Amino acid sequence: MAGICCGVVGESEPSAPVEPSSRGSRLRILEPRPFKFVADAAVTPSLESGRKRQRVEAFPSEEIESGRELRKPRVEEEKGKGASEIKVARADGSLNSRENLQAEPQECPKFGLTSVCGRRRDMEDAVSTEPSFCSESPQKPNGLHLFGVFDGHGCSHVAIKCKKRMHEIVREEIGSYKESSVQWKEAMERSFARMDSEVQEWSDVAKTSSCRCELQTPQCDAVGSTAVVAIVTPDKIIVSNCGDSRAVLCRNGVAIPLSSDHKPDRPDELERIQNAGGRVIYWDGARVLGVLAMSRAIGDNYLKPYVIPDPEVTIVDRTAEDECLILASDGLWDVVSNDTACGVARMCLRAQRPPSPPRSPGSSDLAVGANAESSDKACSDASILLTKLALARHSTDNVSVVVVDLKRDPQRR
Amino acid sequence: MAAATSSTATANPARRNGSSAPERESFHKFFECWLVEQNQHLHDLVSASSPARDADDQALRPLIDRVILHYEHYYKAKSRSAKQNVLAMFSPTWRSSLEDAFLWIGGWRPSMAFHLLYSKSGLQLEAHLAELIRGLTTGDLADLSPSQLALIDDLQKSTIREEKAITEKFAKHQETVADASMVELSHAITEMTRAGGGEAAVENAPAMEEEVESALAAKEEGLEEILHMADDLRLRTLKEVLNILSPIQAVHFLIAAAELHLRIHEWGKKKDEAQAQIHHQEAYATAQ
Repeated sequence: MAGICCGVVGESEPSAPVEPSSRGSRLRILEPRPFKFVADAAVTPSLESGRKRQRVEAFPSEEIESGRELRKPRVEEEKGKGASEIKVARADGSLNSRENLQAEPQECPKFGLTSVCGRRRDMEDAVSTEPSFCSESPQKPNGLHLFGVFDGHGCSHVAIKCKKRMHEIVREEIGSYKESSVQWKEAMERSFARMDSEVQEWSDVAKTSSCRCELQTPQCDAVGSTAVVAIVTPDKIIVSNCGDSRAVLCRNGVAIPLSSDHKPDRPDELERIQNAGGRVIYWDGARVLGVLAMSRAIGDNYLKPYVIPDPEVTIVDRTAEDECLILASDGLWDVVSNDTACGVARMCLRAQRPPSPPRSPGSSDLAVGANAESSDKACSDASILLTKLALARHSTDNVSVVVVDLKRDPQRR
Repeated sequence: MAAATSSTATANPARRNGSSAPERESFHKFFECWLVEQNQHLHDLVSASSPARDADDQALRPLIDRVILHYEHYYKAKSRSAKQNVLAMFSPTWRSSLEDAFLWIGGWRPSMAFHLLYSKSGLQLEAHLAELIRGLTTGDLADLSPSQLALIDDLQKSTIREEKAITEKFAKHQETVADASMVELSHAITEMTRAGGGEAAVENAPAMEEEVESALAAKEEGLEEILHMADDLRLRTLKEVLNILSPIQAVHFLIAAAELHLRIHEWGKKKDEAQAQIHHQEAYATAQ
């Protein structure tokens, strides 16, 4: 396993040893493929600077040709979806008005995500990307975007439930505050506590049909999930973490971990577990009661009160030097260091897009989308390259990576 | 030459159930020829993948199609042989003990295809990481695009689902060996033998024989059906993976698949020979 760097939150690490890109190598990594518009594709796609509301997803042409069932790739590219909504909510509360869009300084950060089963036989990761997740309630704070990675264990249903519910719970929890006076720490702690109690209520259990455990007992006590949730506001990043997934900020080339993994052998966690009457047993690594290799998680009822769902919340102010935020499950972090991940991600984001449209046949209408989505493509490239790097380094776990572009200056590229 | 041999080897006229040894023998021969052909294909694939060659993707298609056809040919022959003697397919004498130990329902485990892909892709990625980060393309398996990776991931999940379903079906079928009719039959025959053949027993014997025959035939039919499902999943998985890949990527994948298959067979054979040597020496020592 490569060195895992999980220093104290806020502690900075030396800058990544990755060479900056030279001007001569600006080819794209990935061959462009035809795009297909789905979801709110009806919205005019011709706004400048790529501030569009449609969701664009890539489908390779052969998939359609071969007549195979259309599968929704989880490598999604999405941008600017929230931009108009944020603005509109502020301006007049109507979601239909698209005026003054250009003047709006706040836009949803671009992001890319990749989530694969990898070398495991079961997929237990879930990823949540909720740009402008509060925009439906005009009286609530605007410009908030939520990204979360949930790495399940025992079964996938707790992670899936976190993906479905976390942003809704957070929205409700911060709804009680006046705008710009949100007490993030307590709001997030309450959100995680609610999330934890919800996964214990199995009233709507039947909905997760792909459940491996098939919810054989009314209380699936031995199932849980990590949760690392980042909320990006116009001026802050709030990271709440529970478990061993991780959020890392890349600021001016330096990797800054925004969460500290909850491992049973972390000294303060070890002390907490022992004070609660629990034991940490070293059996294939440090494990709570010899079972779970993390000290905090959503779910895992049977390990309470040693394993708790309380998040550690880190709040940082955004700066002009912030490049990107990486959220990932331990499938990445076990084999790729924070520094390497940041180095790879920032290089992908810096890579110049070629000026010419994609050369795929029949892509005249799609070229527009591809060009306008270029920055998202960069985020997507970053998340996929990190995922492939994890697989190349023999990661045996599911790998989920979200890369959020934090640069706000459009002149950058 | 090899191609001709392998097709004649399987063109044996259908044999009756009783003559299973020749069938086993003929598939063994077929398999040996098939390996020779696979080795030849490997050479072709390697030279087609060399960077010196003009990388015209479409020019690779015929070669890829030929290799796929070769795999199809293998499964057709296997299916024909299984109709004659399904039991031979579950204890293949043409495989080494090493290979045998890692078989899943008479062949390679379909989900292994994804590990093969990720391992090969990883090796190529690590070799070109610096270039990839700078945005250069390599064209090989390190270059899996987001949509390709998403398709591979979906295919992997559905393959594992099918694999599990077939495993479960196989488990159920294995359990039927102890179903009521088998237990009853084994008891009846045991009793009959113990009674030492009274008049009634002698009279019943042919009927009993027939009952055993038909009971076992039902079990073998079940095995054949499961083997067919497993082989179908294997071939489908291979083809679907290749479908997702670009031609040059497909060539790299087929190379990795052939190399692994041929080398493991070789290593296993070597192990078996070494083991046989030891047995031979022990037997000789005892005889002395």
